[in-house]
Amino acid sequence: MNETPLRSSIARTFWVNAIFAPRTSLGFMRLDFVLGTIFIIPFTQMVFFAFVASLSGIASAVSFVVVGNAVATVTYSSVFSVCQTTDNEKEAGTMEHLLVSPANRFALYFGRGVIPILASLATVTVALVYAVVIFHVPFAPGSYGVLAVSIVLTALAMVGFGLLLGGVALYLRTSIILGNIFLFLGLLLSGANFPLTNLPLPLQYVGDLLPLTWGIAAVRAGLNGAPMSTMLQLWAYVGICAVASFGLAMALWKTFERRALSTGSIARF
Amino acid sequence: MVARSYSRGRSLLAVMRLAVLTFLADPQWLVPSLIAPVVFGLVSYELFAGSGPWFVLYAILGAGMMSMWGQTLYGSGWATGQDRHLGTLEPTLTAPTPYLYIVLGRVIWNTLAGLLGGAIVFVVVAITYGHPIPLANPLLFLLMFAFVITTLAAVGVVFAAAYVYTRYAGFVQNVGEFAFYIGTGCMFPVVLLPFWSNPVSLVLPPTWALDALRYLAIPGYQGFSWGFWGDMAGALGTTALYLGIAGTVFRRVERHVLEAGDLNDW
Repeated sequence: MNETPLRSSIARTFWVNAIFAPRTSLGFMRLDFVLGTIFIIPFTQMVFFAFVASLSGIASAVSFVVVGNAVATVTYSSVFSVCQTTDNEKEAGTMEHLLVSPANRFALYFGRGVIPILASLATVTVALVYAVVIFHVPFAPGSYGVLAVSIVLTALAMVGFGLLLGGVALYLRTSIILGNIFLFLGLLLSGANFPLTNLPLPLQYVGDLLPLTWGIAAVRAGLNGAPMSTMLQLWAYVGICAVASFGLAMALWKTFERRALSTGSIARF
Repeated sequence: MVARSYSRGRSLLAVMRLAVLTFLADPQWLVPSLIAPVVFGLVSYELFAGSGPWFVLYAILGAGMMSMWGQTLYGSGWATGQDRHLGTLEPTLTAPTPYLYIVLGRVIWNTLAGLLGGAIVFVVVAITYGHPIPLANPLLFLLMFAFVITTLAAVGVVFAAAYVYTRYAGFVQNVGEFAFYIGTGCMFPVVLLPFWSNPVSLVLPPTWALDALRYLAIPGYQGFSWGFWGDMAGALGTTALYLGIAGTVFRRVERHVLEAGDLNDW
């Protein structure tokens, strides 16, 4: 009897993970949290920092922090939610099953990022609408396309960064601290609230490694109507961050998998 | 008369001990009590940089208050959600010790941890500032700081009681965090907010206490028109009101749960 070898379909792995991960392994993906992340958190965060900036007495500071925080709110649905994916697998006791399954790892991992990418796009878009409509942030005419590309690239890069943290969390007992640390460090090191040049040089270098830094810079440049050459350069930086994050996340996953399979256990992690 | 076979004081101490152990075992509390406030303190310090020596106090007070808020509300309120998640809420509510004492033990520890977090924020921002912090009366400042955390704890106790009735504790805390910071004016005077929002702010005890603290610490501070003593009276009044509400809600919670026999309805 001729038996067709059972192969996992890459497309099916991708879509099954895209659809089921928000209900299983991703953190904070309940509908109420998602709606709160898209509509409430950006508004309250922008209002908070706008008032802090207005107290400083520098007129341009309000627009600066409003745009910075509009983009920074992407961290909730991308990094904070996504980095918990491996942690939750371990907690639910499904990690071992996942490691011995033949599912394509890239499809599995990237598929989990689909809904967070969509949530991130919605979050930044709504936040930028708040920025323009409520805070009267200047908006260069005809910059819709440029902004759209910047937002999509930022969402992709940030979800990649979340997966990278999820990869690091493979070796830890908890990922929520990691997610929280980068959630808040982003406000300090990404230029969301003040120019990076205000920071000591070593911290500027750390900030340059964060995709959020380049995402914020790209959105700011887009809003100001920067020339295409500048935009291309910034998009390239965001793209490099995205590719590096996904690549490193996969490498961490592979290493973890190899060590787990060679020892027959993940108990040490 | 049957003598009580348990001691409320001993229960209180046992809860405090457990709260300390949980705090040490679960390092995620470092985030709301330490990492987030230090970052907010440094961000606001950078935003205020060059705006005069007194603005460093805004950064310290605001971030310190955030640390205390994180510790009291996350620590005390979220504990109810954790009890529910771990399946220990029902046994805790049916134990002979009133639930209020369980929450009170957590609140006392979280108040102490919040003060520690506030002190760390103070040190980090002071080091970044690089000059002596302009405090006219450090002892009075410390006492007022402790008073602010008491007002925060009052809010935490009410939230902890209300969380028994809802599964949305996490949602309220995470999504409402910045709204609370805005409403209480933790980083800026509430008088900067639109006038229509002031009644909402004045419902919260920390709003009064923080305004009083700023009157005490910042010369020439322009807060509420009723001044320091008006703020103190408001803070004491609202805190007493919150504690009264908390006591009533806790009694009702316990009666409801014992009557219903389970917590599945909530």
